[in-house]
Amino acid sequence: MIRFLVVVTLALVSTMARSQEKVTLNGYIKDADNGEELIGVTVYIPQLKAGTATNAYGFYSITVPKGTYEVQYTFVGYSSQNVTVTLDADVSRNIELGGEAQIMNEVEISERPLDENVIAVQMSKNTLNINQVKKLPTLFGEVDIIKNVQALPGVISAGEGTSSFFVRGGGGDQNLILIDEAPIYDASHLGGMVSVFNADVIKESELYKGGIPSRFGGRLSSILEVRTIDGNNKRFGVTAGIGSMASRVMIEAPIVKDKSSFILSGRTSNLGLYLKAANTDNSINFYDLNAKVNWRANNKNRFFVSGYTGRDKLSFSDGEVGFGWGNSTGTFRWNHLFNEKLFSNTTVILSSFDYLFEIKDPIQGFKWSSNLQELSVKNDLTYFHTVNNEFTFGYHITGRRFSPATIEPNSEESMFEKTVFDKMYALDHGIYLSNQRRITDALTMDVGLRVSIFQSMGPGKVYIYNDPKDNADPTRVDSLEYGSWKSIKNFVNLEPRFGLRYSLSDDKSIKLSYNRMVQNTHLVAAGTVPLPFNTWSPSGYYLKPQIADQIALGYFQNLKDNMYEASAEIYYKDIQHVTDFADNAEIQLNKDLVTEYRQGDAWAYGAEFMVTKKEGRLTGMASYTWSKALRQIEGVNQGREYVANYDRRNVVNLNAAFELNDKWTFGGAFTYSTGRPTTVPSGKYEYGEYNPDQVSERNGYRLPAFHRLDLSATLNPRKNATRKWKGQWIFSLYNVYSRKNAFTVYTRTKKDSDGDIIGDGTQKEARMVYLFPFMPSVTYNIKF
Amino acid sequence: MKTQKSNLLYKALSMKKALIYSLTLLTLAACEETVVLDLEETTPKIVIEGQVTDRAGYQFVKVSKSTNFYASGKTPRVTDATITVADDLGNEYTFVHNPRNHADSAGYYLPQTPFVGVIDRTYTLTVVAEGQTYTAQDKLNRITTIDKLEYRIDEDEREDPEDPGRFYEVLMFVKEPKETRDYYLFKTYRNDSLTYNLDTDVYYADDELVGENIDGFPLPIFYSVNDLARAEVYSLSRDAFIFYRDLDKLLNNDGGMFTQPPADPRTNLSNGALGLFQVSAVVSSEIRINE
Repeated sequence: MIRFLVVVTLALVSTMARSQEKVTLNGYIKDADNGEELIGVTVYIPQLKAGTATNAYGFYSITVPKGTYEVQYTFVGYSSQNVTVTLDADVSRNIELGGEAQIMNEVEISERPLDENVIAVQMSKNTLNINQVKKLPTLFGEVDIIKNVQALPGVISAGEGTSSFFVRGGGGDQNLILIDEAPIYDASHLGGMVSVFNADVIKESELYKGGIPSRFGGRLSSILEVRTIDGNNKRFGVTAGIGSMASRVMIEAPIVKDKSSFILSGRTSNLGLYLKAANTDNSINFYDLNAKVNWRANNKNRFFVSGYTGRDKLSFSDGEVGFGWGNSTGTFRWNHLFNEKLFSNTTVILSSFDYLFEIKDPIQGFKWSSNLQELSVKNDLTYFHTVNNEFTFGYHITGRRFSPATIEPNSEESMFEKTVFDKMYALDHGIYLSNQRRITDALTMDVGLRVSIFQSMGPGKVYIYNDPKDNADPTRVDSLEYGSWKSIKNFVNLEPRFGLRYSLSDDKSIKLSYNRMVQNTHLVAAGTVPLPFNTWSPSGYYLKPQIADQIALGYFQNLKDNMYEASAEIYYKDIQHVTDFADNAEIQLNKDLVTEYRQGDAWAYGAEFMVTKKEGRLTGMASYTWSKALRQIEGVNQGREYVANYDRRNVVNLNAAFELNDKWTFGGAFTYSTGRPTTVPSGKYEYGEYNPDQVSERNGYRLPAFHRLDLSATLNPRKNATRKWKGQWIFSLYNVYSRKNAFTVYTRTKKDSDGDIIGDGTQKEARMVYLFPFMPSVTYNIKF
Repeated sequence: MKTQKSNLLYKALSMKKALIYSLTLLTLAACEETVVLDLEETTPKIVIEGQVTDRAGYQFVKVSKSTNFYASGKTPRVTDATITVADDLGNEYTFVHNPRNHADSAGYYLPQTPFVGVIDRTYTLTVVAEGQTYTAQDKLNRITTIDKLEYRIDEDEREDPEDPGRFYEVLMFVKEPKETRDYYLFKTYRNDSLTYNLDTDVYYADDELVGENIDGFPLPIFYSVNDLARAEVYSLSRDAFIFYRDLDKLLNNDGGMFTQPPADPRTNLSNGALGLFQVSAVVSSEIRINE
């Protein structure tokens, strides 16, 4: 470790020494209208043919020889600015860009340099432009970033109405979902019908599927980074909306004009109202709250405090049965500029997830709760050495506490006893360094290394089993006691990361990447979709870290002056110690859960093709993915190879938005995918009064193909000059041709439509469950 | 929904189950329809259902075979098997096929000489069928007694009964010995007829999370006036408990969306046979519902 840090220091010192003749131009670029910092603005000096782009904090830095230059600041949807700067010393220059096309006072932010698709070293990354997403059809009128992630090439959803997603043959728990850098452990509301991300507060969202940058770690298959907007630091604004499923309101305002701002946003479901109207004794509710305070102390120091909390609360039978789950996160971030070239981002992150399940009954009443907390401190630094040579490095430390379950009786007479399942603790360190360097005009490389050190820690007890794989009769023969902070098991892993871009011409390039990812926090799903009630577990005495190696190769081309972006990528991913449950595993409230885990191999490969049109009245995306995802795990499917639940051979996604005029915008989305593999009976037999299925090979049968067309129309009524507010109607049609897409298929004794058994009860039948037929929805938004 | 509720409360004993039930409630909006699966021919397997208890007349072995998923009628019976049960003291009991020649008892084997099982003894079943030998062992574990049954009107059920007149709930009072690790199977009868709330219900439990006094644990079905309610509780070995837990998961799996994919239950039978050899102590109690 020490040697590694020395290498970093030496690299910095030696590169600093060689750059004396050069000067640095840097600064922040923000939106002139609302002060929002702009990510990915191109800063270009034509004389030198040198350029850079602003980072995630709107900061740029470029180092050039002394001289007078014309500097171009360009960004999609904004008027470009050309500024002449005389650089005889380091200069800091902040720029405000004004929007050109403004619809409903929203700035069309593309957030990307125009030719990023071709010039960036990063491949296998998709950016979701929230304004584009808002033009597309929705389910129940809720704009949902996760539903759009599920339509990206290489990404698979378990089915409609779920918030989980599967990236390039990886499991549902292998995605790191971040909101303002804080992890969200369960991104679903109502079991996945909508995600926890309220579109009002989203600034941008990026999904990394491969070539994952060194600054990220902890999950094998993808990073979904969601950043929230900073809040308008110029003037007060309110945005509100009401849809079929939820109502939203957001307030943003400056605290000190141009220096600090806040944002407060809330969303709550309207479903309670319907249920009340339907006079049932059930209730279903969720809410989200986002808050952020943003303070630009001076050019060298900026602070953000951002928080999120959201919860689902469901109760049935007049509250006799209740359950709920929720996430809370907090992020404190300090951007600091040490000098013209060294930019630092220090973050303190809190994240917690919990669930509760309760039955109120004098005899059988109990309360079942479970939670997980984490606290992280991260320090990420970027050193802009020269235009062609940039270092990023940092250190992350995270502590986690897992409380798998506590069962408490909730009445005097309850038959249950208080039972607390052993808590688990872990400390996670990540140290990384990466260097992006232009080798020749055409070749740029990014080489990085992340070292992950994971410590499963006390206080805790580890039970030694007669046979740790005997889940039918786990027999504890001994136990090891660990005190606070005592290490139970340590895992040190090196995670090399590599990316390369070779430009074939200005608008064509080839990219190659390799990444190794290590995952030490596991959520093994019982079925296909991880539920809030599936419990996260750390690597430890029994559970080994999951390790993934992925190699990807791609061809990238922009056409018609960057109007179209096209890409083709192939990948191969190999996962060691992929974790699943043994056949017949007992997952909930099992004190010997470690005996149910099985680890083995997974491998996946595929090809993804994508074309995007980002400008013009017609915008949209078309993609096709061919992929395969396989697993082989001792103790699962009797140790034989099987296709993963999220294996889909062919997936097609199309979506488009068309701006007819200032008033009307239309959207459409179509999706097709091969059916989900499932396990079907190979026969049946009698046992007592029961007719159980005889089971065949796991996932040996395909459900019918999934396809669906959605349409939407957005109406921006003509502006009334005397009115200060603007309204907007969004009409959405989900599943236009009312396709019955199989959510799942199960078997039962043959029954009639009343649920009464037909005949002698010896006959069985298969039932297909499908969720949403044709569903229209309306949303009304207002902004002032 | 009403019956599901009471069922769900019943299943609190295996709470995990209640959870899954709640989640399926989540998909209230879901629609479903019957589809026809394109399935291959079954490779038939031998199915053995053997029971030895400490109660006279409760000993039997049933031998049958699995069949195609879409087949109708009873599954094929095996009527020419050779069956013995031996205990750990060397006593051996031969079982003969359908000695009373009941038409609907094909495939059932009864002991040639009546016997009852004894607490703490281990029994070994040997079945020779179609040229293959299948064996299993199970132990007869002790069982607590049912202190009493009581009944009361369930007001929710009276307001909206699933079956007219059936709104009496029967409560069971038991002292669960905490010093031993115990497993139970419950069977409930309405007027001597074995009855389930849902045809896929399996009523089994372990004692891991419960306290000593179980005062008023409701039976899963409702009764009407003049009904005779009877509860039987069977002690299970760990192996048998695992079988019933697996069977429950199999019968109630949702096709692998939220629950695990289906899998054949683990069994104490050798040689790939399906089913279970169950050795139990049995206690029972009954009560007539009066107005």
